Amino acid sequence: MHKLFQKSALVGAFVLAAGAAVAEYPEKPIEVIVGYSAGGGTDVMARTAAPFIEKYLGDGASLVVKNVPGASGQIGVTEVANADPDGYTLGTFNLPGMMARTIDREADYDRESFTYLANVVNDPNVIVTAKSSGLDTMDKLIAAAKADPGAITVGMSSLGGDDHFMLIKLEGLTESEFTIVPFKGSAPARTALMGGHVAMGILNISEVASFQEELNVLGVATPERSDFAPDLPTLQEQGYDVVNGSMRGFVAPAGLPDDVVAKLDAAFAQLASDPDFLQAMKDTANPVEVVRGDEFKALTSELYDLANQVWQETPWN
Amino acid sequence: MYSDLLHALPEVFALTNFLAVIIGVLAGIVVGAMPGLSATMAISVLVPFTFGLEPLVALGLMAGIYNGAMYGGAIPAVLLRIPGTPAAVATTFDGYPMAQKGQGGFALQVAVVSSSIGGIASAFALMLLAPPLSKVTLLFGPAEVFWVAVFGLASIIFLLGGNPVKGLISACFGVFVSVIGSDPIYGNDRFTFGQLELLDGINIVILLVGLYALPPVIDLLETPLKTDSVEGEKLGTEPIWKALPKMKGYWKTWLRGSFIGIWIGILPGAGGSMAAFMSYNEARRSSKKPEDWGQGEPEGVAAAETANNADTASALIPALTLGIPGTAVAAVMLGGLLVHGLQPGPMLFRDNPDVVFGFMWQFLFGAILLVLLGGSLATNSFARLLNLPRPLLGSIIIVLMLIGVYSIHGRMFDVYMMLGFGAVGWVMDKLKFPLPPVVLGLILGAFAEENLRLALRIGRGDWAVLFKNTTSLVLVALTVAVVIGPMLKRRFIDSRKKEGEEA
Repeated sequence: MHKLFQKSALVGAFVLAAGAAVAEYPEKPIEVIVGYSAGGGTDVMARTAAPFIEKYLGDGASLVVKNVPGASGQIGVTEVANADPDGYTLGTFNLPGMMARTIDREADYDRESFTYLANVVNDPNVIVTAKSSGLDTMDKLIAAAKADPGAITVGMSSLGGDDHFMLIKLEGLTESEFTIVPFKGSAPARTALMGGHVAMGILNISEVASFQEELNVLGVATPERSDFAPDLPTLQEQGYDVVNGSMRGFVAPAGLPDDVVAKLDAAFAQLASDPDFLQAMKDTANPVEVVRGDEFKALTSELYDLANQVWQETPWN
Repeated sequence: MYSDLLHALPEVFALTNFLAVIIGVLAGIVVGAMPGLSATMAISVLVPFTFGLEPLVALGLMAGIYNGAMYGGAIPAVLLRIPGTPAAVATTFDGYPMAQKGQGGFALQVAVVSSSIGGIASAFALMLLAPPLSKVTLLFGPAEVFWVAVFGLASIIFLLGGNPVKGLISACFGVFVSVIGSDPIYGNDRFTFGQLELLDGINIVILLVGLYALPPVIDLLETPLKTDSVEGEKLGTEPIWKALPKMKGYWKTWLRGSFIGIWIGILPGAGGSMAAFMSYNEARRSSKKPEDWGQGEPEGVAAAETANNADTASALIPALTLGIPGTAVAAVMLGGLLVHGLQPGPMLFRDNPDVVFGFMWQFLFGAILLVLLGGSLATNSFARLLNLPRPLLGSIIIVLMLIGVYSIHGRMFDVYMMLGFGAVGWVMDKLKFPLPPVVLGLILGAFAEENLRLALRIGRGDWAVLFKNTTSLVLVALTVAVVIGPMLKRRFIDSRKKEGEEA
């Protein structure tokens, strides 16, 4: 697989070398494929980032966002994987979702199908409990889960997503057992928590930041306190060493020419420290954490291995 | 809280903001009138374009489109028996017979006035009730939502009409369609045959366009020279001020329809079509001459149209306060709000009062504008639809249907699927299978399944979880009443008749 990757990269570079020599990339509009409908979290990220990427690519570069929704992002990301690696098709990429898709169903792509540009958003998981549950500290929550395994119901947005992996990590760490209640999306899960229909919830920080009065927010799964809501304690502070989150970034088909990769990488590097961009992302409830190139690829591999391991032990469907 | 409401008003009257509402209403009527193009679709197409616009311009367009489309759907429903939007299905029951009797113009006037009244009531509900009502929705967990869906499915009984067996078969077909796609809990494929396009289930618009728009169009094309159709001159349109006094007896229907529409709008998931069906049934049940219904009773049009507009603004109550949209359109609008950095939640009212309350005013003005714009449009321009040669009309509608369905996800697969449903719909139509239970079966079947399974997970497999609290028990009682009620009534009437014969 790795050889194939290298080979195709080489071929891709050759094919494009001639064109690149004549005209500087980009010489025509770049399409960004978003695997979700307009207005969703990933879409907002792509559209917020697009003008800044244009700015840093320079020379009147233009990015056109195209929504290809369906099958929880799988249709869009498959289109990216199969596109020509010429730098004129980019796509959004969600972790761990896109990797989990390759495990729990058949997918026409794998982790080698992409050139990893940059992860832009890292929305850390948070553990919350319903006010009516009375479980207002992590210690109480874990004690209750251990006292009666499975008694604590956990609302989350889906199986096989970041919330699910977060719970698996927590269960492994504390040797406890919970009952998963997978809602369709995080908003219904949060509402069920507010109504006290489930005891505990795993959500993302952007989804609970403005609900701190309605829910008990017990801890954030980050190594350090999040800039997004600095008043919330981390789980590590409380002695639970769990780090997990929902990540969204940009990829291109595997085998992108080196000069194109270099240009895009430079643009993302500048994007990461643009105060206007950071403010725009904050306004749209997107906690930013830019991870570029090989590091992003390593991150993807790591999550894939975790998902695969979980799948071998306890398949979720 | 309510002083913020008045404070937001001047901004709404700013030229561009008000113009946005007007354009929205007009565009909404057109979109609603085109079978296959729904408010959901129009707004989802619009959302990406609103990035650069001022929030109130963008939201005004959305509010206008929503209101306009809910009425616009009535136009082809009355004139052609093709509901322009899902919510206009109940409007066809009496609207089309009225048009055939030469009262099409009056039917449209009833529709526009009722739509406007429903919309106004809904806008007030949104303004005044949004904060307190947000707490009520919290009572509805999975178990309660399951019972709401069961209640809805049970009330299909009223829609079955003549042949309950055929109605049940239709409903089962709808429920079957709801099962296609990935399993709501585990994500396993069900009946997808490896097609990625089917994983998300079948989009309601695709089913609806195929089922409801295609068979009538085939009819149009089948009999191009049919002369007993509705003629433009026979529309029987009078000026609206002459028509208005004839409607004064409908106030009870308007009130009931508004109430039902607002309530259904607040409940997550049900939406305009269910509101229209329920309002229609309730109005018929309380009518002195229920036998006239379905034969061209203007009150039927009033009932359906009031309710389907009354759920517009109210569907945003849970959307704005909790981030849970009451309908698909509200869900898309929620996306539009997020684009402009407006995070739904209790904080929304504190942080952006001018925009939020301005948006609510725009709903109100959108509803009022409906009578002015829709009234003249409906009676003047849209009536001419009927003067078009039937093959031409049929072809135009087919083209619009294809564009509309294609534009949902931009793929031909959906178009083929729509054509397939069209064939099914045509056969069902010929065999006199009722179509509404299919739609309700699709919407409510999915809801019932998902929430039942969530509730059982919460109860760790114990069915008692379904009967654990008062809200559930009330809903169970309502469901039982809906099923048993008509049976008892029939028994009672039968025994009365017998007594009469014996005496």
